[in-house]
Parts: sequence; C-alpha cells; structure tokens
Amino acid sequence: MFAAFLAAAAARPIQSADDAITVAGKRPMILHNDRPEDLETPLRYFDTWVTPIDAFFVRQHLPRPAAIDPAAYKLTINGMVSKPAELSLADLQKLPQHTVPATLECTGNGRAFYTPKVPGIQWGRGAVGNAEWSGPRLSEVLKLAGVDTGAAFLEIDGADTGVAATPDFVRSMPMAKAMHPATLLALKMNGQSPDIHGFPVRLIVPGWDGTSWVKWVIRLTPAAGESKGFFMNPGYRYPKFGLPPGSPPKPAELEVIEGMPVKSSLTSPEDQSKIALGPTVIRGFAWAGEKAIERVEVSTDGGSRWRDAQLSAQKMLFAWRLFTLNWTPADPGYYTILSRATDTAGRVQPIVPAWNPSGYLWNGIDRVGVTVEKG
Amino acid sequence: MYTRVALLCLGLSGAAVIASAQAVSAQAADQATLDLGKKEESRSCVPCHSLRLIHSQRLARGAWVKELDKMAGWGTAIKDRDALLEYLVANYGNDKPIPAPDMTRNGK
Repeated sequence: MFAAFLAAAAARPIQSADDAITVAGKRPMILHNDRPEDLETPLRYFDTWVTPIDAFFVRQHLPRPAAIDPAAYKLTINGMVSKPAELSLADLQKLPQHTVPATLECTGNGRAFYTPKVPGIQWGRGAVGNAEWSGPRLSEVLKLAGVDTGAAFLEIDGADTGVAATPDFVRSMPMAKAMHPATLLALKMNGQSPDIHGFPVRLIVPGWDGTSWVKWVIRLTPAAGESKGFFMNPGYRYPKFGLPPGSPPKPAELEVIEGMPVKSSLTSPEDQSKIALGPTVIRGFAWAGEKAIERVEVSTDGGSRWRDAQLSAQKMLFAWRLFTLNWTPADPGYYTILSRATDTAGRVQPIVPAWNPSGYLWNGIDRVGVTVEKG
Repeated sequence: MYTRVALLCLGLSGAAVIASAQAVSAQAADQATLDLGKKEESRSCVPCHSLRLIHSQRLARGAWVKELDKMAGWGTAIKDRDALLEYLVANYGNDKPIPAPDMTRNGK
C-alpha cells in the first residue's frame, strides 16, 4: 500500500520536452495516461468541499469524441417508448434545472493499494472529486418519450467510440435508479461547462460508481433487460463472494457494481512527509455512496486510540464531508495516522478491503506515516 | 596434490567459462526477443493508446497473457506476440519496482 502511494505522491515532473503533456484547462495533475487521458488529482488540491473543474480527475476509457457542436447536438430516445424522440440541447435547457452535489469516484480509485497487483490504472487516492451538478432530471427527460412500463432497465450510450474493435462505451442501469429524482442529465458542473468531463451532457448517478456516469450522452434506450456490452459484462463486475487474493474470478459469481461503500481519505499531512513539532491539522474527506457520513475517527498512534474528527456541516446523501482533527504531537518521531469513517447506515470502513480481480472499490481504513521534527 | 588442485581450478574455471558463454548466448537471444517485443509494442499498441497505459502496470505473466488476449479480441493484430509477451514480462513484470507517475504541465 505504501509503496504504491509513495509512487503517486512522489510523481516527478516530466524532464524532457518531448514527453511533456499538457491538458488544456487542467492544473498539473498526476499523469497515468495521456491518450486517452487518465489524470489523478494531487492530494494538495483537495482543500475545498467543491472540487474545482481544473483539479478534477479524468478517466477516459476511449478517446474523447470529436468536439460536439452544441447547436447540432441531438439526444436520441428510442427503444421501449411510445414517442421516440430526438431532443436538442435547447430542449434539455427548457426543462426545470436541478442541482445535486455529489461525489464522483472512479470504480478503481485506490487500485494501487491492492496486493497482489491487478491490471488497470494504478490510481492512488485521487480518482475522486465532489462537484455540484446541474441539469434536468433524467426522469423528466424520459417522460417526454413516454417510457413503457415494462422497461426495467435504461441503456445509455456516450458519443465516445472505440478504436478498431474496442467495444463502445454503453452502460445500463435499473429503471428505478434512472427515475430517482437525484439522477440528472447534467449540463453544468460547478456552474460551468463540463468540458472534458462530458460536455454537453453528462449522466449523474449519485452514489454509484463513476463508470455509471456516462459522458457525452447521445442515446437513451429503455429496455426489458440489462445491456450486454463489455462495459457491463465482464467489465465492471465485483465478486458476490469473497475470493482468496490472487485467485481468478468466477464469472457466474460476479455482479454489477451499483452503490459505493463508505470511505475516508487523508489528504494532509501527506504520506512520508515531515512536519514541525507543534500544532497541526489532520485533514481529509469521507463519503458513503448513497448514504451520508455520520462519523470520522482519526488515530495518531497506529490505531490504539481514536478521536472523533470535526466534520464539515453538509451532512447529505451522495456528497462527501471534509474532516479535520487538530493535533499537537507531544514528542518528535514517526507517527502512523489512520482515518475511519462510519455512515448513516452503520457501515464502517474495514481494516482490509476485499481483494478482487479488477481492483475495484478500495475502501480500507486510510493510513499515512509522518515524521515530526523539532522545529 | 598440486595437480589435483590445479585440475579442480581448471575444472571450475572451465565450468564458469561455459556457464558464462551460455549466459551470454541466452542473454543475446533474449535481448533479440526483447527488442522485437519492443518493436511490436510500438507497432500494435500505439495506434490506439499511448504507452504509459502499459508501462505503469506491473503484472505477472498470466495477467499479461490475459491483457494480450483482450487486446487481440478488440481487433489488435499482434504479429510477434511471443516476443511482445517476453518484453512485457521482462520490463513490466510484477517483480519490478513501481514507477512514480509523471505530472502534467499546467494547462491553465
């Protein structure tokens, strides 16, 4: 766990001009891949409840689609509907606009902490962010097309397409979640254009894993059954029953991931950093999928004693809470700091999250080491 | 006594020479394979994605085999598959240290 985190924390500036990567609109980010873009947020940017767009992580499965002309944009609604429709951006803008603050986390955030290693982007703590998403409710958009009552699932397609025979990025979700009042087609992110995060229309599925939040939405298709594409099966599935670490998955026992688990991450001080002896503030954030955060405890002695951290005021479903703990170490030396969140459903972060073949849903009690030095 | 020692030394050094020659030969063969694998990586992987996606991984041989199977299934025509696999295992195997990722430049 520490080695992987150290690697992320110690991300080095690019030395050669030949391989320097700049992503328009983004501050310096941890670069996992540039084509397509996979960018992780450095922990030092996590100092606000709303994560600014210029610091928000990026996860692309496929190359970004060609720039979409807002005037030419069409959202197709077909399948099990009584009135198949093609909606313009103006049509979506005319519907009542709602704002939902929600935390978006890549399903593989924290993958680097699993042992043994699994394939995939080796995310540390920063494939997560909290934003205010605004747009019409998905339920109100679907009503315009008259959804058949027999449609149990909604298939969603984004404008991004794969190279060669790479599967198209198509997801589906139960109609009950699609019709939830907090599920939106976001036209704005923090009051601005979502840009690289799915301009002009991004699906917002509060509390669910990032893979469900389809970008550049161009088609909605109510259907009787779940979509069978790669990104639903075998992609993005999680073992129903615990597996010995390193063992192969049993395909029949893999399930679609929906709501996310309870989790906290320490953002300051950073792992293996040095701080001066004296008062300091331990900081972090915690979130709980479709639940709210009830409590965050912090230990500064490796877990022998725990203290309740102060939580930011916004106790709401779907969005994270920031936490702080004032700490004045008595002595210089090395300290192991831990954080442990509990949600409103009583779920508590585990010491050891369940290993799984794709490295999803890491939510172990967070842990950093810090050296306190005499000033 | 001296003769036996001398022979023993000769024997040892002879074995060492043979072992060394074999190592050089094996290394040369491996290096040729690795070079071919690297070339194949540029040819078959780069059209769809940049190499960071590969070079940030540290996987066991079996996991690399699965990745190559997946990519072949997605339409990648891999010509020198064995060489590519050896190159990946040799450079990005799960026994190798994890690299520190780069940072992007400021795009604001």
